[in-house]
Amino acid sequence: MKLKPTNTLALVALVALIALSVWQFWPVEDRITQGLDIKGGLSVTLTAEALPGAQLSEDTMGRVETILVERVNGFGVSEATVQRQGQSAFLVQLPGVQNAQDALRLLGEPGTLEFVDMTSVTDTATIELIGRQLEAEYSGETTSLPKLDAAGYEPFMTGEVITDARVTTDELGNPAVSVSMDGAGAKTWGEVTSRLAAFQGQVMIALDGYAKSAPAVQTAILDGDTLITGSFSVDEAKGLAAILQSGAMPADIEIDEARVVGPTLGKESLNQGLVAGLVGVALVALFMVAYYRGLGLVSVISLFAYGALMLGSLGVLSRMNAFALTLPGIAGLILGIGVAADTSILIFERLKEEIDTGKTHRSAAKSAVRHAIATSIDADVVTLVSAIALYAFAIGPVRGFAFTLILGIVIDLVAALLFTGPVVRMLAEGTMSKAPAFWGVKGGGTRG
Amino acid sequence: MAKTRVDFMGRKKYFFAFSGALIVISIVALLVKGLTFGVDFQGGTSMTLIDAGGVTTEQVRDALDAAGVPDTANATIQPTDDGGYIVRTAESDTARAQEAFAAIVESLDLPEQDANVTTIGPGWGKNVTDASLLALAVSIAAILIYISIRFEYKMSLTAVLALLHDTVIVLGVYAISGREVTPNTIAAVLTILGYSLYDTIVVFHRIRENAAGLTKMSFMDMTNESINQVLMRWVNTGLIQVIPVLALLFFGGETLQDFAFAMAIGLLAAAYSTVGLASPLYAIWKEREPKFQALKRKYEAQASK
Repeated sequence: MKLKPTNTLALVALVALIALSVWQFWPVEDRITQGLDIKGGLSVTLTAEALPGAQLSEDTMGRVETILVERVNGFGVSEATVQRQGQSAFLVQLPGVQNAQDALRLLGEPGTLEFVDMTSVTDTATIELIGRQLEAEYSGETTSLPKLDAAGYEPFMTGEVITDARVTTDELGNPAVSVSMDGAGAKTWGEVTSRLAAFQGQVMIALDGYAKSAPAVQTAILDGDTLITGSFSVDEAKGLAAILQSGAMPADIEIDEARVVGPTLGKESLNQGLVAGLVGVALVALFMVAYYRGLGLVSVISLFAYGALMLGSLGVLSRMNAFALTLPGIAGLILGIGVAADTSILIFERLKEEIDTGKTHRSAAKSAVRHAIATSIDADVVTLVSAIALYAFAIGPVRGFAFTLILGIVIDLVAALLFTGPVVRMLAEGTMSKAPAFWGVKGGGTRG
Repeated sequence: MAKTRVDFMGRKKYFFAFSGALIVISIVALLVKGLTFGVDFQGGTSMTLIDAGGVTTEQVRDALDAAGVPDTANATIQPTDDGGYIVRTAESDTARAQEAFAAIVESLDLPEQDANVTTIGPGWGKNVTDASLLALAVSIAAILIYISIRFEYKMSLTAVLALLHDTVIVLGVYAISGREVTPNTIAAVLTILGYSLYDTIVVFHRIRENAAGLTKMSFMDMTNESINQVLMRWVNTGLIQVIPVLALLFFGGETLQDFAFAMAIGLLAAAYSTVGLASPLYAIWKEREPKFQALKRKYEAQASK
């Protein structure tokens, strides 16, 4: 078989890409992130609505997001995410969470922010738990410590008095949090800080029953304007500001949608999807080989190339945290099988037709690949357009479907250009005319 | 040259009558029976009792009542293949739905099981519908523009007409079968838009190729010839598209079947409408152009001699 440099180059590029892909997606269960509907967990869509007389500005949405992240971190779930969706919605995903009641309560309700004079806490178990919670908070670890027992402490004021909390810098330029409060708050705050400043006593700040911070009072603060300093990073300061703000969530939060999926059901759905995918591939492969003989084998190999490149891309995207495979995503993957085989069909049919007109195999292959890929691009672009519209404008789980379908179409074209096309041309150079029956084509003429 | 030769265009009147009948039936079904919208559109809760331990539908309904779920008379309790139930209720408060699930498992003394509960608030359905309609509009506009640029506007309009025909039929089948419409159904319908044009594009490519320098036959005959030339492509690409979809329909779980059902109907309708609707309509339209009118007269005159 004589190899043309361009064909060889295309094949080498493809083999390299496939090797790279396998390296990226193997082992599958570690490399490709699974969505919540597969691995189980709680997924919630919340919509923010502007408070009366206020607007839902970018700034407000940003603050709501920070508060949600803060709350989600409080659940002690690893890999929990908060994602903006569209103008006013957030998608919160809590993998593995089964007891959704508490999580939903905490997400949807305005938080309870409490200020506690540490000298007033006498219960030793509470003091010990506060210590452990603060330690976990400062180290940034996610833990599953219990909530503080409300009977163990008495807050002297709650978050309602906070009018503003933002990140600023202290006189040395380090990140700090500045807090303002209303008149009533400032009065109470003044009394407590006056008492505590003498011995630099601590005020514990707790959100929803979890100790978040316990700054030591340096001076009496009578006007309410407080600066909390410490060895914060900017992110830590932002987190604390969000906690302080959450006493006053800047928008109304409503839970629009909540889905809890148990790990067994998810696993079962995944298995059903895999069976459907394998049966689909097997039947398509069988049909292609039965109908197109040797050429069918070529398309079976191109299906494997499609599969490898697809999974490889998903592996890379998973690593970039840009992708999680959901059930609708699996549907997209499986439909892609059809798209991929269709391109082969167009090439093979055109090839047979060109040979029928009396062309040699070689010139028939050249023209067939060119024409068929042009048709295929037009047909694929139209499918692509509707998949892109779906991805860009639709909301909810269907975006996962649109995404894998888009990727599938693009990869199909890559596989056709790098594999099916070059291989058909290579085969036509020699092998095909030696055994036309095996390749499912006629003998071929002499017309060039 | 073509191995098989079928006179598709000669039967266009039957195709039009058939399509017209399907459309009328679909629209009547949509108006009379309407679509059954799933929990995602109406708001409410869907919970799966994986292991129902042999309790009856009535026991489940009583347990719903006892758990304080609203409007249990209209709750649907659907048995699954493996001895469980899918229960759909009007509960739209997420936290209360979770509590109800726990209460039901306890009061019916069911085996301990994972919670699978989906709750949709009342606003969600409208959000999903609005977003889908926007996607639909953008999709159709983009398809019109692309085909108009790559081919011509007469092709784009007839192709989109065939596509609307397919969509109405899919919705009609949903109305008649009473199958629940979910966001996945909508996604499948939106995808059919693009997918159904696959074979239309293949046929149109050939028509365009053959139309260049057409003198030996009328446009209508050439269209028929073109379809016959790409007949195996039309059959095989359609088959290959439908095989994975059927695999999903038979082996996939609930979510995957949702997609597959709408897609299977859509693909069948699409394969048919390429030959039965888009191609003859396009040919009829083209034959009104002076150039092709002349050809038509010439070959009709010959045929009648």
